Amino acid sequence: MTVTSNPEQLIPETPPNWRKYFSFSTDHKVIGIQYIVTAFFFFLLAGVFAMIMRGELITPEPDLLDRTVYNGLYTMHGTIMLFGWTFPVLSGFANYLVPLMIGARDMAFPRLNAAAFWMIPVVGILLILSFLVPGGPAQSGWWAYPPQSLQNPTGNLINGQFIWLLAVAISGVSSIMGALNIVTTIVRMRAPGMGWFKTPAFVWTVLAAQLIQLYGLPALTAGAVMLLCDLSVGTAFFDPAQGGDPVLFQHFFWFYSHPAVYVMVLPVFGIFSEVFPVYARKPLFGYKIVAVSSLIITGLSGIVWVHHMFASGTPGWMRIVFMASTMLISVPTGIKVFAWVGTIWGGKLRLDTPMLFALGGLINFVFAGITGIMLSSVPIDIHVNNTYFVVGHFHYVLYGTIAFGIFAGIYHWFPKMTGKMYYEGLGKLHFYLTFAGTALNFLPMHPLGLMGMPRRVASYDPEFAFWNVLASLGGFLLGISTIPFILNMVSSWTSGKPAGNNPWKAIGLEWLVSSPPEHENFEEIPIVIAEPYGYGKDEKLTENLGG
Amino acid sequence: MTSLDPTLNQEKLTQSSQVAHKHEEEDNRMLGFIIFLLSESVIFLSFFAGYIVYKTTAVDWLPPGVSGLEIREPAINTVILVSSSFVIYIAERFLHKENLWGFRIFWLLTMVMGSYFLYGQAVEWQGLEFGFTSGVFGGIFYLLTGFHGLHVLTGVLLQAIMLIRSFLPNNYAGGQFGVESTSLFWHFVDVIWIVLFILIYVWQ
Amino acid sequence: MNIKKTVTLSAIALFLIAASVWMGRVSYSWFPPQASAEAILYDDLFSILTAIGTFIFLGVTLAIGYNIIFHRAGRYDTSDGPPIEGNLRLEILWTVTPLLIVIGLAAASYQTYDKMNLHGATEIAHLPQVMESAYADTGITTEPMTKIEVDSKQWAWVFRYPEKNVTSTELHLPVDQRAHLKLRSQDVIHGFYIPAFRVKQDIIPAKTIDFEFTPIREGKYRLRDSQYSGTYFAAMQADVVVESPEDYDRWLNQAAKQTPTPAPNQAASEYAKREQKEDSAGWQTVVPAPAPMVNYHP
Repeated sequence: MTVTSNPEQLIPETPPNWRKYFSFSTDHKVIGIQYIVTAFFFFLLAGVFAMIMRGELITPEPDLLDRTVYNGLYTMHGTIMLFGWTFPVLSGFANYLVPLMIGARDMAFPRLNAAAFWMIPVVGILLILSFLVPGGPAQSGWWAYPPQSLQNPTGNLINGQFIWLLAVAISGVSSIMGALNIVTTIVRMRAPGMGWFKTPAFVWTVLAAQLIQLYGLPALTAGAVMLLCDLSVGTAFFDPAQGGDPVLFQHFFWFYSHPAVYVMVLPVFGIFSEVFPVYARKPLFGYKIVAVSSLIITGLSGIVWVHHMFASGTPGWMRIVFMASTMLISVPTGIKVFAWVGTIWGGKLRLDTPMLFALGGLINFVFAGITGIMLSSVPIDIHVNNTYFVVGHFHYVLYGTIAFGIFAGIYHWFPKMTGKMYYEGLGKLHFYLTFAGTALNFLPMHPLGLMGMPRRVASYDPEFAFWNVLASLGGFLLGISTIPFILNMVSSWTSGKPAGNNPWKAIGLEWLVSSPPEHENFEEIPIVIAEPYGYGKDEKLTENLGG
Repeated sequence: MTSLDPTLNQEKLTQSSQVAHKHEEEDNRMLGFIIFLLSESVIFLSFFAGYIVYKTTAVDWLPPGVSGLEIREPAINTVILVSSSFVIYIAERFLHKENLWGFRIFWLLTMVMGSYFLYGQAVEWQGLEFGFTSGVFGGIFYLLTGFHGLHVLTGVLLQAIMLIRSFLPNNYAGGQFGVESTSLFWHFVDVIWIVLFILIYVWQ
Repeated sequence: MNIKKTVTLSAIALFLIAASVWMGRVSYSWFPPQASAEAILYDDLFSILTAIGTFIFLGVTLAIGYNIIFHRAGRYDTSDGPPIEGNLRLEILWTVTPLLIVIGLAAASYQTYDKMNLHGATEIAHLPQVMESAYADTGITTEPMTKIEVDSKQWAWVFRYPEKNVTSTELHLPVDQRAHLKLRSQDVIHGFYIPAFRVKQDIIPAKTIDFEFTPIREGKYRLRDSQYSGTYFAAMQADVVVESPEDYDRWLNQAAKQTPTPAPNQAASEYAKREQKEDSAGWQTVVPAPAPMVNYHP
């Protein structure tokens, strides 16, 4: 009954059946890969938008694009990167890994799972189609602050902003469905013996992130419903001309959208916590406190949102309270950073591509954390708020940290997902190009912001030209950096070397099954007897499965 | 590690696993549903928060020509909706005792009370002299009552489905998740209404 | 062995501190000129944050770099590292230390914020004592001057000086006097932002927002819209001229004599050009407000 020791059987004999990825499959592994691959298409699309924008910004004058086109592109770049790439790709990881890591055969609600996934292509297609309606796509940024977002110059009922709101709403429904599925799965379906403190850190972070979705998204939904009523029916909620309160929308929006950053970054913290022990050959340093700190972040992230509104006309006491809570959140985050450094300290480091991306992501994250602390300080924020300093900061989070973590995760679990090894050389090339591109693209944004260049501009004063040229070159370099990645993924999946069950000699339930795992994952549900990350301890993880 | 007889182990597993599996799934669905309701309640909380902000800060709170809301009819409606929560509880008790007809009668009574609430709401809406676009008050009033009314309607429809399904043979062999969750949903809709009633009608 | 360790650690610590102090000094050069009293306070606080940030960043990076260089597994080394699962004292240390640091930073930020005494939308109460003590040693007149009305619309800034009934598209301010502005918006949310002054305030339509700061350096600076306001957002800029009180009075009196003429407006002229061409690749936009009629424009 144990997983057979005959290595021949572990390698799938038939080539992967491509059609299953285009079907309404309820297998969490198929859905996981569907999420990841779909998200990657949106990543490329929104990346192209970014490069067009950087093309415009390489000169001070608005010469490449009409201003409306620039505004549409920056709005869609942000929207698609968040709702088409970052959220879905992390849902993909959660879907693929959580059941395997906790020793379950599938998610708690497989059909709900599939339904949640299939909304993502709908969201993407809606957003792309909005380029074709008269008046173009939404041009109010992903914040969609009223009353600017309510202006609707075409006067049509079906306009870009309307489609945008519709797409965001569908994405929200999909996220809620996904969240309650994942939370139920984690709470109820962990293998026998897997108490909370035997649960892998990635699972903890996914749980923490999905709890945020559950309490945060409904607030955004409420705000979006009211905005939609204002836009399409003409109600007064956020329209100051009719006595409405536009700042209330900002509260609704940021109550979700700041914690949303933690929805995205927490699973990446989880990926770091999984990757570092494997390639440092040491247990995760302070595993329990690392695990619990995720839930502390979940709690704290719900009381920091006003730090986005320090310049919005918020009362002084509110500014100070939210400054304090925002700074406080750096404590549980710092715990994680120091724990990762502790993990690699004195280990036996192997600099394979996943480890490179994790280390690069960690360094970028420390930098982003420091600029984040600066931004949380009310007086500092008042100058740099809505400037390129903020753009630089959150791209260091979203690209420098989250995208790096995602790439680390993709390389780390690629052998598990496909049964094939990727090409290490191409992987390393991808890393070095991405790391250089990130620095070149996003570092210059910090001085630009300190000098006073506002974000979201299609043109700027000539004094900002130097740093903008550098940033644009970095943007194009990031575009180039995806080429080795795509080549690597496609060629490795089709003709890579067989990977075997556990190419990294990693500890974890997902590494005890075949690569790729069979339908329903485990022939026999594992009985967990050890804590995760027992590197150097020579102990068994489960009672009944090998390893 | 522990060397149990593998065949014995296997037999025990298959025997108990089918029952256990059904039971597990029921519990999963109930947990999922409770999480959903908690999440849903945040939408209402957000609307309530919005209402309080508007009420306390708006310069022109009530639309011109409106002096306030009539409280008598809505109060009767409230009593009916709140009592229906007890009625649905009685229905559930009958089902637990496997008295199907008792269940159906009280279940139907809940539906009638819910429908009366909706009817009362519709009558009230018709008599009001302000609309959805009449300032922030009109907007938030119709948004709150409408969004809640939608939930009541959903509850009544769910109840109708459960009532029809109670006539299917062996419907409750796999547990009573449908009835239990519908009932929970009804209590949820009820609690939301109590808060809503206090905010909109009592606090004027 | 122990002495060697101590020496190495102290050397690293000294290097880190030196580098951090140096970065803190350098940080002053990243900003536009310090043209307001607020800017001086601001840059000092930023310098402190930069120094602390540099210390943390370099510390973590050095630790990672050290392990990458000295603790890499050999090519055929498949062994594991030591199974160290944690260290309670270390974990407490790196929970408490950041906590103390952020409490310190919050206190420092609060102090600076208090000194800047920026007036937000709902803070109308004046605190003359606090203001005087903050500027006691700078020789700045704390008597607020007459309020200047700032009107923002898509996409133009208009400044109105009520005592002489003068309108202008260039903001003139006397040096070393606390400026007092009334910010208003006619359409959407705009942001009043002068980088050289390190001040910023969103302007919420249908509200009048009081705003104060103190320019201390004569010169010409840039006012930018900082809250995205639609198509021509980036073009919504204006010049701010800080001059001596005499020059300021002269300018105001001269402007009062001039009859209003339409000021040049980038959004309006770009829109007109776009309409003429008729082959515009852009989408429909909110029509810019016509060029404002003002007594003075540059």
